[in-house]
Amino acid sequence: MSFIDTALNVLSNVVLLLGLFFVFVGMIGLLRLPDVYNRLHATTKVATLGAFGVMSSIVLNVGFTPIGIKAITVGLFLLLTAPVASHMIGRAAKRHGVELCEESVIDEYIISGETD
Amino acid sequence: MNTLLLNFSLTLMVLAIIPCIYRIVVGPTIPDRVVAMDAMTTVIVVMLGVYSYVQGSVFFMDVALVLSIISFVGTVTISKYLDEGVVL
Amino acid sequence: MKRYIYYSIPLGIMWCFVHGTINIENFLLGSVLGIIVIRPFRELYHFEEELSFKRAIGKIPNQIHYFMVLIVEIIKASIMVAKIVLSPKMDIKPGIIAVPLRTKTSGGITAIANTITLTPGTLTIDVADDRSVLYVHSIDASDPESIRKSIRDDLEKFVLEAFE
Repeated sequence: MSFIDTALNVLSNVVLLLGLFFVFVGMIGLLRLPDVYNRLHATTKVATLGAFGVMSSIVLNVGFTPIGIKAITVGLFLLLTAPVASHMIGRAAKRHGVELCEESVIDEYIISGETD
Repeated sequence: MNTLLLNFSLTLMVLAIIPCIYRIVVGPTIPDRVVAMDAMTTVIVVMLGVYSYVQGSVFFMDVALVLSIISFVGTVTISKYLDEGVVL
Repeated sequence: MKRYIYYSIPLGIMWCFVHGTINIENFLLGSVLGIIVIRPFRELYHFEEELSFKRAIGKIPNQIHYFMVLIVEIIKASIMVAKIVLSPKMDIKPGIIAVPLRTKTSGGITAIANTITLTPGTLTIDVADDRSVLYVHSIDASDPESIRKSIRDDLEKFVLEAFE
């Protein structure tokens, strides 16, 4: 019993550190990448996975108490809404007239006539 | 152990907020600033989660949930405003 | 009335999760409140479509398989983007690619767009008006044909199984 507790504790700390590392890497990507679309790649995928990892480590440590259940809710909510938000920002940026960066190799986007 | 964990996590997350503030202030276009606001909310939600776990208090997790909902609605609203000029 | 019950079960489960304690009283309270919430927004819930409990339950194993595939893809995507961000010299070839679609329903298009956003190196930007083409931003667009092929063969198959 005590061995299982220790193993869960170590596992949850490792997952917590991994999650914090991923969130930090996402913010560095926000700083370094060249234009809006590439920055969306960094924040949507990396930072969301990091936040989900932190919430999972809290669940592993406290079990199904109210804190754990709310942590599951927050993690799933972030995982479900991040793609929708990034899609909305990307579409608005493209229609607003933000150009791709100089390294881009292909652009097949056609703005449709009706705004719908 | 818990104090060490809290100090390390909060220090790393405060360091992670600095690029967001740089991008909000400098960012060349408006969508850049929206992306940075969204990312900053994710970092603050993570901070609130870790703080709630270390303090053993459930109320900070409520704050994290409400903050993530408000961030999503705000992002969608600003995007629609930039896209079409009206919100609804 | 059957539809109200069908749509209020997920809302009751969600109420339990937000409240923080899972038991039968909270579930019933959430379901009753869910019926009250569904009533003013019933235009959003497609009341004119046919619906059956058996079909919805039969899709659950495919959806579980889809979420397992999705989680593995998210982890691979994050490691790939993290490698690009942390490499000292940044050589990326981004671009926007048009990807043709087979599915036509709204739910299928939503599911495949979210899946594309969470998989390695790609991000959905827009859907064409006639719902036949999806515009995808890729962080490494040096080979558009292989990206189109991987989306059509690997991802769309799971989405068609799980949500159609």
